[in-house]
Amino acid sequence: MEPRSETERFTVPIGPQHPALKEPGHFRISVEGEIVTQAAVRLGYAHRGIEKGAEGRNWIRNQYLVERICGICSHIHATAYCLGVERLAKVEVPPRAQVIRVLVAELERIHSHLLWIGVAGHEAGFDTLFMYSWRDREAIMDVLEALTGNRVNYSANVLGGVKCDVDDALRDTILRTVDGLEKRTEHYLRVVTTDALFLQRTRGIGVMTRAQAEVLGAVGPTARASGVERDVRVEAPYAAYPSFPVRIVTDTRGDLEARVVVRVRELFECYRLVREILDHMPPGELHGRMPRRIPEGETISRVEAPRGELFYFLKSNGSDTPERVRVRTPTVCNMTSVVRLVVGHQLADVPMILAGIDPCFSCNDRVIDVERKGRAAEQWTWEQLRAYGVDTYHGHRP
Amino acid sequence: MDTVRNFFALVLFPSGLFLLAASLIYEWVDRKLLAQFQNRIGPRWFQPFADVVKLLSKEEVVPRGGSSALFLGLPVIGLAAALTAALYVPLAGLAPSFSFTGDLIVTIYLLSVLTLCMGLAGSNTIGRFSLVGATRTLTQLFSYEAPFLLALLGPALVAGSWQISEISQYAQSHWLILTQPIGFIVAVIGLMGKLELPPFDAPEAETEIVAGALTEYSGRGLALFRLGKGVEMVIGLTLVAAFFLGGVATPLLFLVKTLGLLVVVAGLQALLARLRIDQTVGLWWRYGVLLVFVQWLLIVVLREVRL
Amino acid sequence: MPSPEQILQIVSELAASWTWKMETRQPEPNRIDVVLPSPADLVPFVVGLRVQRLGYLSTITGLDPGVDSGHLELLYHFCPGPAVINLRLTVPRDGARVPTLTEIIPSAESAEREVREMFGVTFDGLRNADPLYLPDDWPAGVYPLRKDFDGNGRLKLA
Repeated sequence: MEPRSETERFTVPIGPQHPALKEPGHFRISVEGEIVTQAAVRLGYAHRGIEKGAEGRNWIRNQYLVERICGICSHIHATAYCLGVERLAKVEVPPRAQVIRVLVAELERIHSHLLWIGVAGHEAGFDTLFMYSWRDREAIMDVLEALTGNRVNYSANVLGGVKCDVDDALRDTILRTVDGLEKRTEHYLRVVTTDALFLQRTRGIGVMTRAQAEVLGAVGPTARASGVERDVRVEAPYAAYPSFPVRIVTDTRGDLEARVVVRVRELFECYRLVREILDHMPPGELHGRMPRRIPEGETISRVEAPRGELFYFLKSNGSDTPERVRVRTPTVCNMTSVVRLVVGHQLADVPMILAGIDPCFSCNDRVIDVERKGRAAEQWTWEQLRAYGVDTYHGHRP
Repeated sequence: MDTVRNFFALVLFPSGLFLLAASLIYEWVDRKLLAQFQNRIGPRWFQPFADVVKLLSKEEVVPRGGSSALFLGLPVIGLAAALTAALYVPLAGLAPSFSFTGDLIVTIYLLSVLTLCMGLAGSNTIGRFSLVGATRTLTQLFSYEAPFLLALLGPALVAGSWQISEISQYAQSHWLILTQPIGFIVAVIGLMGKLELPPFDAPEAETEIVAGALTEYSGRGLALFRLGKGVEMVIGLTLVAAFFLGGVATPLLFLVKTLGLLVVVAGLQALLARLRIDQTVGLWWRYGVLLVFVQWLLIVVLREVRL
Repeated sequence: MPSPEQILQIVSELAASWTWKMETRQPEPNRIDVVLPSPADLVPFVVGLRVQRLGYLSTITGLDPGVDSGHLELLYHFCPGPAVINLRLTVPRDGARVPTLTEIIPSAESAEREVREMFGVTFDGLRNADPLYLPDDWPAGVYPLRKDFDGNGRLKLA
């Protein structure tokens, strides 16, 4: 054991359990006064051995396993996995299924970015933004529930296609929701670019130049905010993206403000894509036939998760279980940049810069016991809870 | 007779039970308003009471590494100081129980004792969050205290007295918010700094340092500190209303004016993002102090000219 | 960004310029696999990729072909734009040593630390070799992603 030095005394541990982090991770932030002099990261508190676990399950069960890697971007994990397996099996996926995959992926991106804005607001001590953006996020979760049956872990994919379809009524609901959200997003864009106090916490903070972003291997909106045009949807379009091209959103400033603005601007791009997809849905089957055993081979499947490039390496040995499933999530890439960027900043800015690591969390049960005076415990349904909570205020239901 | 009166003043009204109850009600109003502004439901009316009862009944964990006597004593001193300050303030529109020349200065310093106690309580542990929080609490104390004091001196200057009751009397015939708008704004914002409300909640920024100086406090100590803050809020609102909003002569006026101020304070909390501690200090010393000084000079010059 | 065909062309030319023979395969239209003869070729080849601005390292995958094979395989995935470049490196199962890429690509650190703890490959020159995902009290010499690890924290007995 080294002797406790004065600097060690002022190492502020952030995590594994800390209000700034919504999932366990451990950061050791050494501070001198309020200035960060050193940062280190330690992960693995939520390590579940999924890569090992995948080697013992068959190809179908693995889809449900990888969906549980992340609660927020479960669909994109399943999409990456399915695209890879289908390529190995040389199965043609019907166009309508590919389009629905993209539709759910974009809805998921909207959900994820709205959630992130709230988290960024919360980290900046701007809880009003947090409350409002999370309320709006409810609308998109409702749409996802109507579409797939689940608010999280949508499980829209099956190997060879999808298992949910969009009818006309649902189409109208989605379009209405997207219209409402677009108005709200315009408001958020105005807030995050004009609110003087919020800007004080974001403008010029955590600046990552384009060169740094490239060297540190940043991905997703974090890289795009530094001017790196890295988006798998554009570079190597997959699923239905070849027929629905994405306009890449970048910024050159590379600070926190740019990261917020890029994410908010991407929301508009998501809304546009969702509308275009719903207007041009190809008819047809929802899934093709998958063999139970996947032919021997290796493939790499890359998709753009809300946080950046998601990488899957799949190796099959010809049996009904995979030989190896390798997952590299975008957060791992961006972590390097975060640890470097916080050095030299104020301690107060650390949570804001760390907010690049998006939190994951599970959704609550559908039924909650509510006890009221003079009455026996009663069960409230989701609608009642909703009426009690969200709808009571200013009836925002786009 | 005097003993009975003093006992009454200390235990029931205006200090003691009445003030504690009032502070909890004001805390609820503040939380409820903030929740409404943020599109939430907010707590029910008895929530602050329930919180305090729960905290008081909880086991108090005394951390190792600091003086346990200080750890247990500081919350008591802090709350006592805040309650004592109430004796000189026209609470509920009634005349203060005690009054003497210069009680304004005493009141303001009694109110600062609570913040000081919180800072000391944070430094009295070896927890990193507490230490950083304590540094921030004390830094903030030094930044808002001077402008807040100067803002309250404005009314004192025009009333020609250092006595709260006399200034309040004078203010009843003069709405000083109209003649001293800068002083009013600085006083309200200074009060928010004193109470560590957003945007001045850097000392207890939960996303950075958990609960700041009070991180190690759990049961009774936390309850007392929270009560102390509630009391400070009531007294602070009363002072600002009495000085700038045409005095508080009756209980009804008192309610209307202080609650009106609370709406403003809650609205500001909902509107503003948290300032970093360096930004807080910069704001106060660069703009706060300067503005109040300008106001102060204006008052002095105008008075001289009129005389 | 050049097209996938151009990128694949550049990479195969780079591989062909080596003094000794380097095997390349194109299993998919946008993917090229380069089999590196020895760990010593890794850093020069990656430098070559970076000179061509193709040096965005996505991740490193470890593969265990089984205890009987006596070796492990490392896959370095470079994903510049639309193409994927796999550098395949076969290393012995015991005492494998590979030069680190962190001097050229700082973001390789997390991938190398992961492969180190999951497969037991030593990266020469890796400054921070602390465990990244596994617990601090994880037994030494147990590498969970090797095939002889049964998932219950024990090594499978033959």
